[in-house]
Amino acid sequence: MKYILLMTGKKVGVESYLAWSQKDRNAHMAVLRRIAKELTASGEFVATQGLAGPQEAKVVLGEKGGMPVTDGVFPESKEFLLGYWIVDVATPERACAIAGRISAAPGPGGMPTNVPIEVRGFASYPEPES
Amino acid sequence: MRFILMMTGTRANWDEYAKWSKEDLEQNVAFMRAFGKELKDSGVFVATEGLGWPGEAKMVRAGKNGEAITDGVFPESKEFLAGYWIIDVESPEQAYKIAARASAAPGPGGKPGGIPIEVRQVLSGHADLGL
Repeated sequence: MKYILLMTGKKVGVESYLAWSQKDRNAHMAVLRRIAKELTASGEFVATQGLAGPQEAKVVLGEKGGMPVTDGVFPESKEFLLGYWIVDVATPERACAIAGRISAAPGPGGMPTNVPIEVRGFASYPEPES
Repeated sequence: MRFILMMTGTRANWDEYAKWSKEDLEQNVAFMRAFGKELKDSGVFVATEGLGWPGEAKMVRAGKNGEAITDGVFPESKEFLAGYWIIDVESPEQAYKIAARASAAPGPGGKPGGIPIEVRQVLSGHADLGL
């Protein structure tokens, strides 16, 4: 069963991350890299991706005169996707356990970030009838 | 440059979608298939996924001892990811144009859905964040 683990955060959260010391950031990334390596070794890894900062985010709402209508203004409360992992696991519990490990990755001073990770399954759409 | 185009909706939006007629759903799915094929044919396609219903979504946080604490309660205003496309294009403007097409996917009665599509650049490394 494939699941996607979504890490989200508000603009203020991203700003505080950017203010972490290099040492804290290295420790955090080392744990995330180790988790990815372990998932690869166990055959559960499918994909992972980090996204660019929220300040460059745009929302597109249809088009006008053949040009896309874009907006870059978001409410303070807006949850931005920071990155995701796709895993192929035996049970939903295993997906949640992996999400827990990501949430426990160290933040400033080595304390777990406890960042919430949203766990979602994938949709399956029927193939076209021929 | 790689971009992710994200379609999101609140639970109320999903509930409405669940009530679409079979005809409207088929029309929407046919559009999405043609759209995906067009992205592939033009060489910009990287990946696409559709996500399951928000009712099955779980939120996980690490507890004091690193254990996973799972919760399935979300605020009404919560924006759930419905699906995404990752594309590899020459410019942000090209990404916005493609997003506008996805936004115009047909809804009930075949009218353009006008769903907002969030467009974000995908990182190739931490250096892209200026770190």
